[in-house]
Amino acid sequence: MTCGARVVVSMTFSAELLPEADLREAIGVLVRVVETAGALIIFVGAVWAFARFAAALVRGRGQATGFNGIRLTLGRFLALGLEFQLAGDVLRTAIAPSFTEIGQLAAIAAIRTALNFFLGREIAKERAEVAAVQSAQRKADSRPVEGSR
Amino acid sequence: MTQVLTAAALLVTAAGVLSAIAAYTVSRWIGQALPVLLDFLTAAGLLRLAADVSWGSILVAAAVIAVRKVAALGIAVVPRRPGEDLSSTEL
Repeated sequence: MTCGARVVVSMTFSAELLPEADLREAIGVLVRVVETAGALIIFVGAVWAFARFAAALVRGRGQATGFNGIRLTLGRFLALGLEFQLAGDVLRTAIAPSFTEIGQLAAIAAIRTALNFFLGREIAKERAEVAAVQSAQRKADSRPVEGSR
Repeated sequence: MTQVLTAAALLVTAAGVLSAIAAYTVSRWIGQALPVLLDFLTAAGLLRLAADVSWGSILVAAAVIAVRKVAALGIAVVPRRPGEDLSSTEL
């Protein structure tokens, strides 16, 4: 068999093994699964945060100091959901057929990446603030009471 | 799937409004309630973007994120109560 014939046979074989339409469909399913996982994580985070805020309302005033913790956890849910959605965007570029779709994907990926970056910074800042508050409370608790000696 | 995600986005928006009202009721400070509302609107925007990949959804999501960032900067700058200086803490 000549070299050219071998190339044609191998290309025909791979086209039969992995037809483009089937590959697109498989990647489309993967994209939907990954994007659904991301959306589910965001929705669960929102529901959890709503339940916590409702509980804070029922308990009444004096619970405002816990709000930052609730927002911090909601931010973590958003960041995790965004990671899944970004993964879906990367997968979708494999089957994007036109420049318009690629442009939309680029815009969505940029928005999600920027939001992920801002959320990461806010989470780190809130974590530092919560640690500072806890440290101050521990120092206040360990200080001996005046006049007890 | 698109309808489910759109409905979820609406639910999250409603939850955000109610949570912001709860946050304001407890803290009596718009600086506590507004970030809560904007976080939920961000979540709703991301859900809507997953449901409908269009330039309109992209612009709405980008606008919500930009407003969220600007509001956060504004709240950080403005004191909580008139006459309260920025260096005061609640510790």
